[in-house]
Amino acid sequence: MKTTRCYLANDTSSRAAGAGRLADAWSDRPEIQLIRTSSRGAFFLEPMVERDVPNGREAWFNVLPNDLPRIVGGVGGTPIAEIPFLQQQARFTFANFGITEPLALDEYQTRGGLKGLAAAQSLSPEAIVEALRISRLRGRGGAAFPVWKKWQAAQQTGSELKYVVANADEGDAGTYCDRMIMEGDPFRLIEGMMICARAIGATRGYLYCRYEYPAAARTMRFAIQKAREADLLDCDDYPFDLEVVTGAGSYVCGEETALLESLEGRRGVVLAKPPYPAESGLYGKPTIVSNVLTFATIPNILANGGAWHASLGTEGSRGTMALQIGGRVKQPGLVEVPFGLTLHDVLDRFGGGMAPGSRFKAVQVGGPLGSLFPESQLDIPICYDAFAEVGAILGHGGIVVYDDETDMVELARHFMAFTADESCGKCTPCRIGSVRGREILERIQAGEGTAESLDLLKDLGETMKATSLCALGGRAPYPVLTAIEHFPEEFKKGLTH
Amino acid sequence: MTTRHRPGLAETLETCRPVPPAKPNILKTLLALQSALSHVPTSAIPQIAQVLGVTDAQVAGVLSYYSDLRTQSPGRHLIRVCMGESCTANHGGRVLRAIQDHVRVAAGGTTPDARFTVEQMSCAGNCAVSPTVMIDEDLCGRVTPSEVPSLLERYR
Repeated sequence: MKTTRCYLANDTSSRAAGAGRLADAWSDRPEIQLIRTSSRGAFFLEPMVERDVPNGREAWFNVLPNDLPRIVGGVGGTPIAEIPFLQQQARFTFANFGITEPLALDEYQTRGGLKGLAAAQSLSPEAIVEALRISRLRGRGGAAFPVWKKWQAAQQTGSELKYVVANADEGDAGTYCDRMIMEGDPFRLIEGMMICARAIGATRGYLYCRYEYPAAARTMRFAIQKAREADLLDCDDYPFDLEVVTGAGSYVCGEETALLESLEGRRGVVLAKPPYPAESGLYGKPTIVSNVLTFATIPNILANGGAWHASLGTEGSRGTMALQIGGRVKQPGLVEVPFGLTLHDVLDRFGGGMAPGSRFKAVQVGGPLGSLFPESQLDIPICYDAFAEVGAILGHGGIVVYDDETDMVELARHFMAFTADESCGKCTPCRIGSVRGREILERIQAGEGTAESLDLLKDLGETMKATSLCALGGRAPYPVLTAIEHFPEEFKKGLTH
Repeated sequence: MTTRHRPGLAETLETCRPVPPAKPNILKTLLALQSALSHVPTSAIPQIAQVLGVTDAQVAGVLSYYSDLRTQSPGRHLIRVCMGESCTANHGGRVLRAIQDHVRVAAGGTTPDARFTVEQMSCAGNCAVSPTVMIDEDLCGRVTPSEVPSLLERYR
């Protein structure tokens, strides 16, 4: 019997959508050979099965086990190039997604992998930093700090021991691009970290992965082992080693100083800066802490040149951004697009509108510390400057849409309760402020709020913004205050006059 | 029939003993103990502190700080219902209620037969396939309240 080669994603979300059950159901079927790839990120279509056709691949969507005859017979497939969700993207960092097997190092190389590292090896450390400066890449974890400045500081700090740390503590609700990279294209992350190591003179790297991502940690450990066996880590007699370390469920460990405390095995408590980790970080040594997506963006920059990266996006936001669309939309998934599209465009063109039977109420961008936008404000361009201008953040690119069944007072309480739970306790405004904020909102919910409650909440919010040590306390008021600003009548219902 | 050897407290702890110049790592040690024993009993704190060469308070501080470190053994299966924003927007709260009703235990509790422990979790990173329920290491997406009984049936 002829065997048809088919492709099925093996990442956590595709499995959660049923890819694993599909593979189990077909495990003893001789007519099909399943190649387990990364996911294209069009999760609303998962589980999606693809097969080769003369001009690329065709796909079958939301596949069930009894769809096998149709797939093997080649009936009813859609050419990948005709899926609008994928067509309208600019895939660079995510170019391999849905195509390659995550742990196939040869495939990674065939598709241009390791070219960035090769380019970096032919450059001086200063020239690598210069390429980053020209690229105008800003950190993708949330703070959006120019990457080259950090690298230059670490490069210029004298020390026989330096570290590179990938922040894979992707705690922002609504974000999953780091998990996709670790599970789907792990060598790209390793390559990015190695380029950084060369630039600053680091010999050791850590990947701090959150506890909730066991599959990502496993894939990264396999990939590091493969890279080590291929003599990739110690290339040109330049020693470098990499280790995966897991966290234990603390949101604030995504903040770089808390992450380093946790990496040393202590409570993940935020430290005052300066000193910055680039000068004095892990065990007091110069350390670059960058987000997974940031490191994964770097190989293409070295391979194609800084000017290539700077040619994409908007004035203050160069390159592409991985936006992760979730909540009550028809087409949740990851899209990589140049900065500059409006929020409306993204929700409309990629999100595909609202889930059946639901009506739009608000969208939150940038995780649990991000501002809420009502329908009237969706024409904002997705870039750092436009968001900063209205006091909002892009954060790590999470976009969550809420429908009209959402109770905004409860949502606001949820955000304050989240901060109260996750506060490291180091600074008073965050530790006490978040608890007081939650209590005020609970009183409003119970119908016991007074006319002063909202003023008190706003005052508390301003204090937290101005005086908290890190972004957890400093940003926590934004979703709450924007909820009050755009949906005041819901809050006023709970007030006694 | 062979029984798999499960290392005990002392044995696991020995593998975490710092060898100079390596420094003791409390969190790594506690995660290793939890992986071997399913939890880290508070009664073990002095022994851990002694092996690592740190104070009891330092160990207790780390153990109480991280929400994924447990001081009590969970049930045979750990059900974690995602309360992240995307899951909340897609009515994950209804799924949590259905699970609590079905196993008759509130979030944070363990069933009397120790089959299930039910917990809420913050974002599982499965936002595009929400609402999400994580059972042991399996992630289930697009969960509806009505499928909860058949879903849990797979975990005895």
